[in-house]
Amino acid sequence: MTSMKTTESHGQLASAASSEVIIELNKVNKWYVDFHVLKDIDLTVHKGERIVVCGPSGSGKSTLIRCINHLEEHQEGDIIVDGITLDKNLKNIDHIRTEVGMVFQSFNLFPHLTILENLTMGPIWVRKMPKADAEETAMMYLERVRIPEQADKYPGQLSGGQQQRVAIARSLCMNPKIMLFDEPTSALDPEMIKEVLDVMVELAETGMTMIVVTHEMGFAKIVADRVIFMDAGDIVEQNEPIEFFNNPQHSRTKLFLNQIL
Amino acid sequence: MKFVQVDETAIRPAPLSEASVIGWLHKNLFSSWLNALLTIISLYIIYVTVVELWSWGITNAVWTAETRRECFDISIDGACWAGVTQWLDNFFYGRYPREELWRVNLGGLMLILWMAPLWLPRVKGKIFIGLTTVFLYPFLAGYLFAGGDKGIFLQVMVSAAIVCLAANTLHSIIGMLSGRSLPEFLIRTLGKEKASDATQRNILIGLLGIAFAVVFVGQMGTTAVIVPWTKWGGLFLTLVISGIGIASALPIGIILALGRRSKLPVIRVLCITFIELFRSVPLITVLFMATTMLPLFLPEGIVLNKLVQVIIAVCLFSGCYMAETVRAGLQAVPKGQYEAAHTIGLGYFGMMSLIVMPQALKLMIPNIVGSFIGLLKDTTLVSIIGLFDILGMLRAISNDVPWRGLHVEPLLFGASLFFIICFVMSKYSRHLEAKLSAGNNH
Repeated sequence: MTSMKTTESHGQLASAASSEVIIELNKVNKWYVDFHVLKDIDLTVHKGERIVVCGPSGSGKSTLIRCINHLEEHQEGDIIVDGITLDKNLKNIDHIRTEVGMVFQSFNLFPHLTILENLTMGPIWVRKMPKADAEETAMMYLERVRIPEQADKYPGQLSGGQQQRVAIARSLCMNPKIMLFDEPTSALDPEMIKEVLDVMVELAETGMTMIVVTHEMGFAKIVADRVIFMDAGDIVEQNEPIEFFNNPQHSRTKLFLNQIL
Repeated sequence: MKFVQVDETAIRPAPLSEASVIGWLHKNLFSSWLNALLTIISLYIIYVTVVELWSWGITNAVWTAETRRECFDISIDGACWAGVTQWLDNFFYGRYPREELWRVNLGGLMLILWMAPLWLPRVKGKIFIGLTTVFLYPFLAGYLFAGGDKGIFLQVMVSAAIVCLAANTLHSIIGMLSGRSLPEFLIRTLGKEKASDATQRNILIGLLGIAFAVVFVGQMGTTAVIVPWTKWGGLFLTLVISGIGIASALPIGIILALGRRSKLPVIRVLCITFIELFRSVPLITVLFMATTMLPLFLPEGIVLNKLVQVIIAVCLFSGCYMAETVRAGLQAVPKGQYEAAHTIGLGYFGMMSLIVMPQALKLMIPNIVGSFIGLLKDTTLVSIIGLFDILGMLRAISNDVPWRGLHVEPLLFGASLFFIICFVMSKYSRHLEAKLSAGNNH
């Protein structure tokens, strides 16, 4: 219901994708011990492209995006992000992580720091930005997610929706080229989902490259350039959102869409 | 069934059983016949004990006497506190020369002066003050306590410590009065706040250099009389050993805990072996090993005195226990915190020092302070290997001819002393916990 409201206020976004490739996955395979989570995944993401990944739980969609910033290690295949191949080289991993922002289902704000300190931590310690500049940037993003008045509070004092918006702002403070969202609204109370989705739609309007794992199909319809459906470690189907929802091809996609819509 | 609320339900005061003294008594002390009986028996036991203790320890006690015999002559069934008061200096300082006691007191006073700014709200640069306490104060205090000739290294460290202490104190006073830091104050006083950063820095370095030179020249002429460590004793020695143990426990513990959780197998196995080895052996065994076996492992020509050996043993022992406490804290920090730290680009050391460790240590404050308290009490074991710490002195009094056989009173005194110190520590840890968790509960 919340997502339908979002649809009314925004309508379908125009695509901002360019021809430049920013993420490339070639035959990526991953196992958790002997459980095959990702099977021969091929995926190319263009700069400015917005991708929604959906699928039943355990299908490997979270694992897929967690491999892109190397929170999970893949065993076979290549992942190339912004021209850099992810391998054992820690320098490369650290560099890629500064270019890739990530928002988690459980927010993962730092509870011992104020909201402002949460936001300035990365810029000050990783980007070596002067404190005053970092705070200025942080306040700008807090205004963009519409909670500048919470800057001096601690995460525990904020509602879930506010915390998730802070988490988005924290990622944006690092000025990333790509944003990954791992079920950003799944842990939220229904009345807070909209405020987070609205912020994400606005972010999409700025032309950010986004990969979003979500079950918010209303959001997918407005924002996505492409919807990917995963099941059991495979990419089963991918298509433009209208085609994907109105005319699913694979039987498993049809089954899934029947269950959630 | 249809229902729409018309009037809000009124708020009423709680019933008498919840909100009166009699209600409380009934609920907590006399809720049933059995409970009432238990309450009365307990009250009777408390009454008898207190009356006995009071008459023995206060009303019938002897406060001034020259020998234990005199005590008995005055009052046969009272405590002989005279022995305790006569031996107070011995309990506090051991056999430290009486005319040099000011050095111990001065050392203690300096520590208080050095650390007090850490609790003052308006003072800036607390991390710096804390670090200098750990890295400079020991040299100053060590020389003050031990005395003797100082080599060039010690001269430099002592001078640096004095300058630092003076600067700290000035900085704190200025901070409390104006909220400024010492450098800001100096620059303003000299009217150089318009100068470039580099000039300002040079002026400050110059001032620091001048202060250091003055102190260095000043200290060259003075030498403190040697007080060999064998003369150190009493509460002073206990605090020296446990103080160094406490100060080094956290850094050693953090390093070992991180090593134990390391992904590199060699480091991990090394740390696990080290921790488990020390944890599986009683402290007294470690102390015996340190004083008898450590010399065998040292290169020829290096002879450590027993006190240094004991201190090394205590540090390693407390460090290993702290390592397990820190590890528990690290495991209690959710995995998401590590991941979030990674995703904003922090590397291992940034993640650990800025995100994970502050949370882990905060979670573990009660355990950390608990092991500090344990360490303070454990150091009394050094009296078994022949050091006259507070426990050693409390027992030594009964071998002193005039006070032969006086056991209970000095030990009670010692117990109250330990109780006060430990109680203050645990109260402070509660306060710290409350302060740190204010407003940031998950």
